[in-house]
Amino acid sequence: MRASRVLTFARYEIRRAVARKKVLALVALTILLDTAPYYALASSRTAIVPPPLHPYLWIVGVFVPQAFFLQFIALLIAAGSMSEEYEQGTAEVLLSKPVSREEYFFGKYLGGYALLVAIVVLNALLSIASATFVFGPQVQLEILPLTLVSQAFSALVFFSFAFMVGELMRRSSLSYILSSAVFFTSQILGIYLNLIFTLTGGEIYKIANLYLPTSPVDSLPLLLAEPSFPSTVLTLFRFGGATPVETSVAMSAVLIAGYALGAVLVALAYFRRADVAKRVT
Amino acid sequence: MLLGLIRPTSGSVRLMQMDPLRDHVRALEHVGYSPELPNLQSFLTPQELLRLTAKELGLGREETERQLPVLLEDVGLIQYQDYKIAKLSKGMVQRLSVAQALVGSPKVLILDEPMIGIDPAGVVRFRSMFREFVRDGGTIVMSSHILSEVESLCTSLVVIHSGRILFRGGIEAFIRERLGSRSILVEIADASTKAGGGSALLGGISALGGVKRVTPAPEGLLVEVASDSDPRAEISRLVVEAGAMLVGLGYSRSELDEAYLNAIRGTAAQ
Repeated sequence: MRASRVLTFARYEIRRAVARKKVLALVALTILLDTAPYYALASSRTAIVPPPLHPYLWIVGVFVPQAFFLQFIALLIAAGSMSEEYEQGTAEVLLSKPVSREEYFFGKYLGGYALLVAIVVLNALLSIASATFVFGPQVQLEILPLTLVSQAFSALVFFSFAFMVGELMRRSSLSYILSSAVFFTSQILGIYLNLIFTLTGGEIYKIANLYLPTSPVDSLPLLLAEPSFPSTVLTLFRFGGATPVETSVAMSAVLIAGYALGAVLVALAYFRRADVAKRVT
Repeated sequence: MLLGLIRPTSGSVRLMQMDPLRDHVRALEHVGYSPELPNLQSFLTPQELLRLTAKELGLGREETERQLPVLLEDVGLIQYQDYKIAKLSKGMVQRLSVAQALVGSPKVLILDEPMIGIDPAGVVRFRSMFREFVRDGGTIVMSSHILSEVESLCTSLVVIHSGRILFRGGIEAFIRERLGSRSILVEIADASTKAGGGSALLGGISALGGVKRVTPAPEGLLVEVASDSDPRAEISRLVVEAGAMLVGLGYSRSELDEAYLNAIRGTAAQ
């Protein structure tokens, strides 16, 4: 496997993804979500946000999209990465060249993931800029690099899952629907399991919740960031309804790596064996 | 299957003496492929697509800069090199598809219906490009339903029908095998004059071995001969001796179509 070819496909994938209106619309939505709420909060700042919290308001923009929005972007980028190439008949031409299937596979995976990471970073930078502009200087920003790494790492679960579904299904619409269905089912199931555990105290519900794919994704960035902040600020992390399960950083990291690696291996094994048809219609 | 993209249910494929499935990269190092009705990346420009292809092939920057303008010029797309592929016509995309197959100076070209959607000027340009490619030592494997194209470009033929190989060999051999008789069109400049359509000439040709029937045609004469005989040299001598001006002499253009239809009818009957 040659790194230069993997890089060529990665660049190509970024270019392809950016050319899609869906991804561009999501980037525009990211910008809107990261700026508009601050101006909305500012218009009634005394009523909603107490002044001691003003220097921490960047947390809202960085952490609120973690549970839903960033995962949904991951699904949208990855579900079409392989499947659209089959639908448009472009996979055949790309793979008719002296390139290995692994170079193509990893190039596309890395390209899509790089775009996702760029959106995660854009989300954070816009949040900080908007918070600073509206509410003054922000503090505790030294945690930001770790936060970004943990958010990017967490996003691997649904990015890899959607990538796998796209390869297995080879139909973009079906891939979006199926991977979104798994994501939302996991989120909703997590809420119910949490509720049942609170009401009954049954450990089995807590353990089941722990292993849902959304649990480590939602928890890891919060588990890493929250200890660095005063307790009075913690409400800001839960602003968007993110509720981390009781787990450890190590456990979350292992689950994320396990889910992501599993999905990548299944997709790669299938791609190496499967035929590349002329055009999937 | 030839490109190692589809696994055969039985049998095997060798490309450049290698298995394109197991040894994909090495087997395709010197192979260019242009698909039927290509669906190229609509968000790229022709220049960007060829650059992407060059990178896939591992061409250096200098070589890429040398080849790209030449290829775009050859296929008549140099003035459209910065247009999005989505804006190009079907024929232009087909030309671009052939251009991307030629990046890296391959030794083997695999072309799937290369003339579909191409305008007549493009067809002429492509024919000349393909002949030059073969003259320079290259090999073209072309699939086509346009038999006149096959007849004018190919030296050997594989006829596949319903997944079965019906024939493998030279075009002439195929026609001889499938047609009981063949038609030779003798084009004479003064066909209406006595010399051109005269009874002496008709009689002379009719008397040649293998000739079944001679009928006057607007261009001159249509000579039906047994498929295993070739009296063209004698016919040309007789025309000249009769004092007529011979303009052309060759097998009727529709012969390959007839032979193909015969071959298919043969399988249907089985």
